[in-house]
Amino acid sequence: MPTPTDSLLRYRPWKGTFRPPVFGAFAMARAGLTVLLRRKLFWAVYALAGLVFFFYFYMQYLVIWVQQQTADRTAVVAGVPIRLSEFTKFLERVNMNGTGLTFGNFIWFEGYVAMIVLALAGAVLVGNDFHHGSLPFYLAKPIARRHYILGKVLGVGAFVNLLTTIPAICLWIQAGLLYGWQTYYAERFPLLLGILGYGAALTLVLSLLLVASAVFVRRTVPLVMVWCGIFVLCPALANFLAFNQSLGTTWRLIDLWNDLYIVGLWLLGVPTTEARSGFEQPPVWQAAIALAVVCLGAVAYLGRRIRAVEVVS
Amino acid sequence: MSGSTDTNVPHTELPVEAVSTVAPSQPHPTHTPLLQFDLVSKWYGPVLALNQVTLTLGGGITGLVGANGAGKSTLIKLATGQIRPSIGRVTVGGLDAADWRARRFIGYCPDHDAFYEDMTGRQFVREMARLFGFTSHEVRTRTEAVLDRVNMTTAADRVMRGYSKGMRQRIKLAQALLHDPGLLILDEPLSGIDPIGRREMLDLFASLAAAGKGLLVSSHELEELEKLTGHVVLMGRGRVAAVGTIAEIRDRLDHLPSRVRIEVADPFGLARLLLGTEGVLGVEMESGGEALIVRTKQVKPFADRFAALVVEHGLNVRQFEPLDESLHAILGYLLGGSGKT
Repeated sequence: MPTPTDSLLRYRPWKGTFRPPVFGAFAMARAGLTVLLRRKLFWAVYALAGLVFFFYFYMQYLVIWVQQQTADRTAVVAGVPIRLSEFTKFLERVNMNGTGLTFGNFIWFEGYVAMIVLALAGAVLVGNDFHHGSLPFYLAKPIARRHYILGKVLGVGAFVNLLTTIPAICLWIQAGLLYGWQTYYAERFPLLLGILGYGAALTLVLSLLLVASAVFVRRTVPLVMVWCGIFVLCPALANFLAFNQSLGTTWRLIDLWNDLYIVGLWLLGVPTTEARSGFEQPPVWQAAIALAVVCLGAVAYLGRRIRAVEVVS
Repeated sequence: MSGSTDTNVPHTELPVEAVSTVAPSQPHPTHTPLLQFDLVSKWYGPVLALNQVTLTLGGGITGLVGANGAGKSTLIKLATGQIRPSIGRVTVGGLDAADWRARRFIGYCPDHDAFYEDMTGRQFVREMARLFGFTSHEVRTRTEAVLDRVNMTTAADRVMRGYSKGMRQRIKLAQALLHDPGLLILDEPLSGIDPIGRREMLDLFASLAAAGKGLLVSSHELEELEKLTGHVVLMGRGRVAAVGTIAEIRDRLDHLPSRVRIEVADPFGLARLLLGTEGVLGVEMESGGEALIVRTKQVKPFADRFAALVVEHGLNVRQFEPLDESLHAILGYLLGGSGKT
């Protein structure tokens, strides 16, 4: 005669031990990445990121190859011997030759692509947990709120690094192979650290900012508007105030993307005078403080808002 | 889940005294209860959602009923550690409910089903399994086990966007069962499920309870809930109005007479007999004159006396129906209105 517990035979009691909750955060990061990679719409933007990478990859190859081929050669023009390297000097100004500025500019461009995807995907990654109420699925699991935030930040961070840091490291490796790995990797090792540092700064700021803004506005269109405000309107305003109104370079600090760029260049050992905008830049320490304030603000906001229910009036 | 096994107690040992408004709370049992609320209050800004709730739950199935806004959802969120109490303490297996470790004892099935809609059911359950920190092998085996348990193995590879309400409920239940919790908290688990599916779910709940687990089931489906369990927590206006079996709660409402409808061949003759019977507070003739409505202090002693009358006088009884022994009626008595939730 069947007993009520017969059907439980396949479903066995759990006898093992659970791993620490940080593994739950990794699982969340993985789920977030899966969502980002599953959306077909985003693959158009990834193609753009791929274009930027291959442009840098082949241009770097071309520039270094041309510079190496012309380094010791001379050509006779109308009976006058001229070193060929004089003709190819202009290529250095392209900044695609394995220098700090090469990687700084590359990350600057790729970061923009990452930003576009994050603006579009923020609602799916984070906002829907609040908007559609799926947060209880997470918060009812044996993880703390900090693990939830960590999981989301890790997911966004991994995505940002996939688009910026890892391709930049590939370019660094490529430059080493072109210049001669025996000398380049040892002499330009600080560049690798700079790439990692710039990537870490991008990861920290963009992921915290995205999670905080997605928790705040939750839906795609408002989130895109908020990000446009931060990364399009603020830079325009910063330039207007700093240069058109001559209020000083401190006003450039409200351009968060530029702050990240300045800090990134500093980490890559490039003076801010060589920055791509050509305008006068605020000091690095001010930019670093501005970024730290944004991160702390985002963390403080998230600490308050990661709750399953809200205050009702 | 060590620790949860020694806390499971048979349903019959549940402390019925854990009542905040009907009776004062009693000392805690010597064993660690699965879920305990100690004078818990919760404010949302100026709104008092839960008011000095004291409640102790062990194993077996307990129904959580009350009208909308009664505080059921707040109670569940406190129990699952999603929110903290403003005053008082909530413990799960002896641990503070807000502590993430306490959630290893709890499986939670929310009432809303906000998923990643483009995932399949299997992918979703796997993602949820990873949150527990299972290894890859365990994630696969536990996922397959729970999908089989809720009878969703065949539909598990379909995208959840195309799931029916019943399928969604099963998937939600599957993710709650992943870690073999000692206490399952189910928020409206029967809503949207067809009658056959309901039967299967009720059987599943019963088998889980038989396996020693505690189930707290919040539901507006009172008839279904009555089939599932006699033990309920009645909530109203942020308070726990009563806890216990339906019969026990009804007995405590002894200031309110029970009504019994009796259909006999000669209702006038029976009325004469009953008016002199002990325990009968009043007799009314139903419109149409085919049946009597008898008001009595307690149904069971009256039923015994009535049975004796039937034998003694050879009465031809067609129907004997207690009218307000149901959960609906009790809820109506305690909270006012019809008891409709």
